[in-house]
Amino acid sequence: MNNITVHCTVNHKPVTVETAPNKRLLDVLREDLHLTSVKEGCSEGECGACTVIFNGEPVTSCCVLAGQAEGADIVTLEGISPDGTPDAVQRAFMESGAVQCGFCTPGMILTAEALLAKNADPTEEEVKLAMSGNLCRCTGYTKIIEAVLLAAKMRREEARA
Amino acid sequence: MKRRGTGVGCMFYGVGNTGLPNPAAAFVQVLPDTSVHVTVGAADIGQGSSTMAASIAAETLGLAYENIQVTWADTQVAPEGGATSASRQTFITGNAVRNACETAMGELKRTAAEELNVPEEDLIFRNREIYSSKDANVRMSYPELMGAMGKKGRLAVGAGYYNPKTTYLDPKDMSGIPYELYSYATTILEVEVDTDTGEVTLLSVVSAHDVGTPIGNKLVEGQIEGGTAMGTGFVVTEKIDVDPKTLAIKNPSLSKYIISTCMDVPKIYPIVVSSEGEAGPFGAKGVGEPALIPSIPATIAAINDAIGSNFTTTPVFPADIVKAWQEGQGKKS
Repeated sequence: MNNITVHCTVNHKPVTVETAPNKRLLDVLREDLHLTSVKEGCSEGECGACTVIFNGEPVTSCCVLAGQAEGADIVTLEGISPDGTPDAVQRAFMESGAVQCGFCTPGMILTAEALLAKNADPTEEEVKLAMSGNLCRCTGYTKIIEAVLLAAKMRREEARA
Repeated sequence: MKRRGTGVGCMFYGVGNTGLPNPAAAFVQVLPDTSVHVTVGAADIGQGSSTMAASIAAETLGLAYENIQVTWADTQVAPEGGATSASRQTFITGNAVRNACETAMGELKRTAAEELNVPEEDLIFRNREIYSSKDANVRMSYPELMGAMGKKGRLAVGAGYYNPKTTYLDPKDMSGIPYELYSYATTILEVEVDTDTGEVTLLSVVSAHDVGTPIGNKLVEGQIEGGTAMGTGFVVTEKIDVDPKTLAIKNPSLSKYIISTCMDVPKIYPIVVSSEGEAGPFGAKGVGEPALIPSIPATIAAINDAIGSNFTTTPVFPADIVKAWQEGQGKKS
């Protein structure tokens, strides 16, 4: 099988990758671009650990083939805080105690970022609906939902200041 | 028809293993810049055992949580920690850290006593300061103490371990005192059951846990919330489907073994209950498994209360509920 060349934007920078056409976006991000915040969980689109923001939408990268990324704008957790300073969602997760083992956390944060980019003031029900594709076995979700609501509040306050 | 029901689950749980030796150890060094290196075998899988070890070291040494670095579960450098199971690490590794810190404090106390001209037993180590219990004006800071330690060529190092008091059980009837320490909990849970579809909606849960002295309220709440979500899931959606002939698990995937999403979990109200006078480090007890256990019978009891059924095993699926409801109605008519 011949390799294909994929041009896309990853974490705000143009990227060209030469890769096998049957490779998943998850593997391109982890193995070729070394973006290891993207976690492989169930590999069948159920758990959300491999979530990336793909053209503004939270998408499970285990279910995307490399070729589908042609021309796409992709953001991973590394792209949320490029200078190493945690952003509002990351700070809210720490403050709320929303992280236990941490495996689901990159996907949770990216899903929350995608929600807040579209809806700056979500209700608790809207947060739950948006986050329901990301599974967590440790927290019982209580503090994760609290963190997303807190992040929304922090963002609105930052915007006002 | 939608029917509501309430269930209660109570439990007590022995922390650590039964009637067998069950030790764990820790290494501690207080460095010249007042940072502390703690090494433990306990595996932190997100429950917060490293946070617990750092908190106990800070409290024992009179330093700040931020001063403590923890190296954990690295078998090349860490001492024996035993299994991270049985909700035992806060109790056993926590006490080991405390013992190791107390050993390290031998030289710290000797040096502070000389510098302040105060008997060792009158010294208080708190909030990065050392002072006399008789006269709080007689005091020195931790950096001053570590400076004095350096001049005298003394190092603050300690190794410690803890083995809970256990008595071997009588092999004839298994009587004896199997645990040094017990955690207690009660969970009350409300459900709504649709008798036509068998669907169970988990409405709200109050779960109260006696954890002795809580080490980090958010950590304890996180354990309670996570345990409750897992326990309710065991009743309403989770079943390991085993092939009776090959014993292979037939549903080893998250699309076939259904765990709760954030839309399925009830509103959880954790209550952290403090109690005093038990053998844990500063009175702390385990909460890992106690968080899970009472939510299971509470959920089943709530379903039974809602539809007058008599379920006693997990899981309780919609088809079971519809069948039980129809049989119950048949008996009445």
